[in-house]
Formats: sequence, structure tokens, C-alpha cells
Amino acid sequence: MAGDTTLLQEHYGSAYTMADYTSQAHNVYLTGSFMATPKLNFTGSINYNMSKGELDPVVMPDVRAELTTDTLAHQDFTFDEMHTYSDLEYGYLQLGLGLEYKVGPRFTISASADYADMKDETGYVYGIEGGSYFMIRSGVRIDF
Amino acid sequence: MRIVVNLMIAGLLLVMAAQPVMAQETAAEYSHSLWIGGHYTDFKDYAKKVGEYRLVTDDPWPEFKILFNAIKGNRTFTFDGYFFDKYNAAAAVEGAVGDRFSGSVGYRSMVHNKGQDLLENLAAQEYKGGPLAPDTSTADPGDTIELGAGKYLTHDITDPGANYREKRHEINSDFSLLLSHKSNLRLVAAHRTIIEKGSEQKLSAMHCFSCHVTSETAKIDRQTHQLQAGLEGEVSKYDFGYMFGYRTFESNSPDNQIFFDTAMHPVFGTARTEFGSREIYQGEVINYGILPETEKMSHKVKFKGDLGKGRFAAAFTYSTVENKKENFAGVTLKSEAYGGSLNYAMSLSKRARLIAKIAGNRIKNDNPFVDLPNFRVDTSEDHRTDFDFVRYSSLDRKEVDASAEVVARLNRKTTLSVLAGYDYTMRYDYPELEDEYTTKKMIGQIKMKYREGMRFTLRGKYRFEKTSDPFTSGRGLFEARGREELQIPHPGFRFVFYYERENLRYQDITTVPTDRHEFELKSTLRPTSKVNVMLGFKTVYDKNGDLDSLDVKNLSFQPNLNVTLTPNEKWSMVTGYTFNYNKSRGPVTIALFDG
Repeated sequence: MAGDTTLLQEHYGSAYTMADYTSQAHNVYLTGSFMATPKLNFTGSINYNMSKGELDPVVMPDVRAELTTDTLAHQDFTFDEMHTYSDLEYGYLQLGLGLEYKVGPRFTISASADYADMKDETGYVYGIEGGSYFMIRSGVRIDF
Repeated sequence: MRIVVNLMIAGLLLVMAAQPVMAQETAAEYSHSLWIGGHYTDFKDYAKKVGEYRLVTDDPWPEFKILFNAIKGNRTFTFDGYFFDKYNAAAAVEGAVGDRFSGSVGYRSMVHNKGQDLLENLAAQEYKGGPLAPDTSTADPGDTIELGAGKYLTHDITDPGANYREKRHEINSDFSLLLSHKSNLRLVAAHRTIIEKGSEQKLSAMHCFSCHVTSETAKIDRQTHQLQAGLEGEVSKYDFGYMFGYRTFESNSPDNQIFFDTAMHPVFGTARTEFGSREIYQGEVINYGILPETEKMSHKVKFKGDLGKGRFAAAFTYSTVENKKENFAGVTLKSEAYGGSLNYAMSLSKRARLIAKIAGNRIKNDNPFVDLPNFRVDTSEDHRTDFDFVRYSSLDRKEVDASAEVVARLNRKTTLSVLAGYDYTMRYDYPELEDEYTTKKMIGQIKMKYREGMRFTLRGKYRFEKTSDPFTSGRGLFEARGREELQIPHPGFRFVFYYERENLRYQDITTVPTDRHEFELKSTLRPTSKVNVMLGFKTVYDKNGDLDSLDVKNLSFQPNLNVTLTPNEKWSMVTGYTFNYNKSRGPVTIALFDG
């Protein structure tokens, strides 16, 4: 790599700043069961999760003071929006209800309903991911 | 379908093995249950996140569960099966004949829905300029560029709205056969197959002359097979064992192909020969995202027994890994590793014992030669640079980990343990050839457990790790001001070429800390037989003090509370709360460069 030292008008090295990324997640839950009679049992559950992630605003040093020519004058060295790329904010609610009824010594019927709802306040690279589902289930168990 | 057939055959063999046993005697106990039902799911809006591991259709699906148990004397047989929908099912067959034979075969499947990266943050232009003109750098005749405008970053989604989904099937089996009671000689074997099928998103990035990222759908068809087989036994007062391991991975999906943009001036579309001479690929269709075809073989010998006042366990391992898929030069890659470990535990007194561990490992990798076309700064033959190189791996290393722990019972309620450890890693040929990069870690840990009958338990732990020279990137994070420091290799050229900027890089950077503190507290309170309260707190703080002015650090803490209530025979409840907080500080860097 030998050669003459040349004045490189277009190269000014790099600039940096320090930034904090913070994430928080809260989760609260309650599940329970109630045996109304020896043959009838109810179950229920609630679960809620709230999570956030964000980068502090990125404030670069004033690099224009470093430039001795206007070669880079057309470039924008502010990053007002950059930290928002990393914003995340999700809320996730799950509800469940179920019952079991023992019809006889060998037969038990069951039914349940589940609901889940996700709220996406900011969207990420996949776009807004908010959605929900409602599911019902039923069946019969035979012991033999 | 082949998976189901194989599973049925394996299950049938186990059933056949068990049936004569069942038929020989009459006092068998059976218990069976069958659950038949179904479910219907209604999805709204974006369903692939809330239903990430579900089928994500609004169709009704039948469900069933089967459980079959049989016990006769010292013989047991179990079949457990569950069908939720066509992508989520599980089944397992287990059988045992006393301590002579035991075996199991299992299958489970699941689906994973994956989102599509919309690439919307990959659209930028240095500045706006003149009129639009056809962009001949891409395969799409409709693309345009803005003449006289600044350099730009674009993206193409060739498969908008693609439904990426991976279906995973896993088959497990394990067997143990007692060959001799005299030396307790036992043949053991285990197997696992993982099959992944479906589709995923693949991204390809063109070089700087176009700054162009393309997304398309790629087919998934991967298989992993793992087999272990060996012997275990006793000789005199010592236990010994040998285990052979074999694992393969291959992808049967077709190679992904992409048209690599034609090189040219990024704004004016000119100087194609000059720009093209600096690229490895341009203006052609190439394969990308190629997966390896790996084969791993391993041998492990282990011994256990009494030694002096204590008991030891030792193991020696040797393994080789080869990527059998040839690269463009027809070369395959291999690595080998060998090592050993020794654990020793002994009583120091009636209330104290010592646990000492030491393990060493050596990993060697092939050093492949990478042949690249010569780089030219213009169309002449005079200014050529040869970038051929030999790839030396930072995985070439020698590792030694050692620790000693003393566990002491201070009184009837309190147990204390103190651990000291030392980890040593020496990487060969890093960051430069013939260099040796050594990382040393000192570990200190203290744990305490206090127990007051069944009513109250408290556990505490503090761990400290001090690391010298943690692994850092061999390439610096920052660039020096080239005007003062760069020597131009091509007289007459005032431009800085991208590869030359590598010589300007400085500043160590790593995500590995030099100091790490971990503190954890767990308590369990049981005031009555109807209430159980668990309260915990964990925090970790780490920082790296070897990065000059960069104040890189991380803090996390997680408190949690869990309460279980059983007020009477009819009611039972569990409630709780967890909080997770993480804060990381790191540098954000930009290059000040025009070109």
C-alpha cells in the first residue's frame, strides 16, 4: 500500500454519540378453578402483557465544524427520526373460560372459549401486527 | 405422510414387543381414555402475530386425544396421542420390561408463521436532483433513476403479501437394553430427526453502486438427523461408558437465485466497465443464501468412581465437523475438537464438602483459500489489486475452565456455598496471522439458603465476573480522518475507495463486558396450608471499561410475585405479576464520507 500522501477532500472519518435503548415488560395473570358440584368444574384465566422498547433520541455532535470544504454540504447529519425505527409497544390480552361436566362414571363433556387480542401501537419492520382471535372448543371424554 | 408411516411402524414394533409379554400373564391392569371434540377459530386483522404458532384459518377442525396404559408385573406400555389440527399433533409410545429393556418413540409437529419485512426503512436518497431516466441497472424495465440526484437506497418486494410459514416435524426415539447383570452392561441408543418445510423470506443486497435490497420467497426443505449409540457398564468399582454420536444437516430446497444488478455509476448510469471491474458479481444471475450440508461425528469416553475420600467423574471427547457442500473452488470445510473434563467431589467435614471441576478443549478449523477476481480502480491493466486471502477462523482456540466450590451447612437452617472460578480462552491467528488473543475471566460467587421448616425459605446469590481482554471485533468501529492518515495506493487518483477505508478503522468494540454483577433473591412464604407466596428479585449490571471513552453498560432487573390460594376444596387460584426492565448503552456511529 505504498504511495504518495494525497489530500482526500471527501473523507472526514466518522462521528459517534452514545444512546440508551430501554425495554420494559409487565405481565399480570390470574387463573382459577371452581368445583360447583362434584360433577361440574369451571376454569378461568386472564393474562395481560404490556411491553415497550425505545431508543433515546440520537443527537450527533455538530460535524459541520469539522468540515473544511463544502463537499458534504448536501448531506444531512441530523437523525431526528432515527430513534423511532426501534420503537416497540405491544399490549397482549388473553382470556379463557371453560367447564367440565361429568355425565357419568365414564363420560365427561367439556367446553371452552379463548379470546386473544394483540394491540401494536407502533409497528416494526413487519408493519402493524395487531390482531385477535376467538376460539371455541368442545368435546367428550370416554374413560374405559 | 412418510413420517406418520414410520412412526406407526416403530409404534407397532413396540406394541408387538409388549403384546407377548401381556399375553403371558393374566393380572394385567389397563386404563384407557379417548377425548373426541373439535374447535373453531375466528381471526381478525393481522393474525400471524397473535396466532404465530397456529394454523390461522377460520375453518373448524376435529380434535382427539388418546391415552392407553397397560401394566403387568414389571412390564409397562403407554400410548399417548393428541391431534389438534393438521400442523399441530403429537404422539408417544413407551414400553419397559423391568430393568432389562426400555424404549420410546415420539412424534410432534408444530407450525410457525413468520411476518414479512416490508423493508420500508430502506428507502433514502442523498438529495433530489434532475429529471427521471430509465434505470438500466435492474431487471425491471419500469425502474427509473433521477439524473443528477444523489446516491440512493432502494428496495424491491417481489412477493408482496407472501404468507411465510414453517412446518416442523420431530421424531425421537431411545432404547436401553441390559446385556449383562454381572457388569451391568447396557446398550443405549437414541435418535432424533427434525424436518422443516415451508417458505421464508430471503433478502439479497446489491453492492454500493446500486444500494438495492431485494426480497423474495424461498422454499424451506431441511432435514436434521441425530444418532447416538454406546455402551455403559461397571468394572470393579468404576462406571464407564462410550458413546458415538452422528449428526447430519442438509437442505433439499432449490438454490435461491437473484439477478445481481449491473455495475455502473450510482447516479449517472455510466462507467460500467470501470465499476464492473470492482465487483465480484454484477449483471448476472447468481445463487445466494446457500445452506451448508454438515456432518458431525463424535466419540465420548467417560469414567466415574471413588478416589481417595471423594468421587470423581471424567470424560474425554473427540469430534469432527465437515461442511460437505463444496464452495465455488470445490473445497469443503472441516473442523475438529478434542477435550476432557474432570469433576471431583469430597467431604471436608461432617458439614462441608468440596466440588472441584476442570475442563479443557481445543478446536481446530480448516484455513480455506479464497480466490477473488482482481480489483481495478480504472479500465487499465496497471492499477490492479489482488484481494485473494486465506480465511483463518477465530474459532481456532484453546479453552480451560476451572472452578472450586465449598458448600457448608452452618446450622440446621442455613447453608452457604462459596465458588471461585477461572476461564481461559486463547484464540489463534486473531486478529492477525500468528497473533494469539487471550481472554481470562475470574469468577466469584456466594449463595445462601435459609429454611425455617415448611413455612419460610429464603435463597440469595451474588456472582461477580471480571474479564480481561474480552473478545472484540478485529475491525474498528470508527474511521480515522483519512486526509491525514491514508496513503493512496494508486498515484493519480484522489478518490478513496471503500476497501482503503478498512486501513483507517480503529476503536475496539464488543458486547462482552469486563465487569458483571448478578444479584438474586428468592423467597417462599407459606403462612397457612391454603396460601403460598413467592417473591423474587434479580438484577444484573455489566459494563466494559476497556473501550476508551465509550461508556458501554447494561442494567436489568426482574421482580416477580406469585400467590397461590386454595381457600377450600371448591376454589383454587393463582395470581401474579412480573416486571422485566432492560437498559443498554452503546455507541451510534456514522461515516463522514462522500462517495
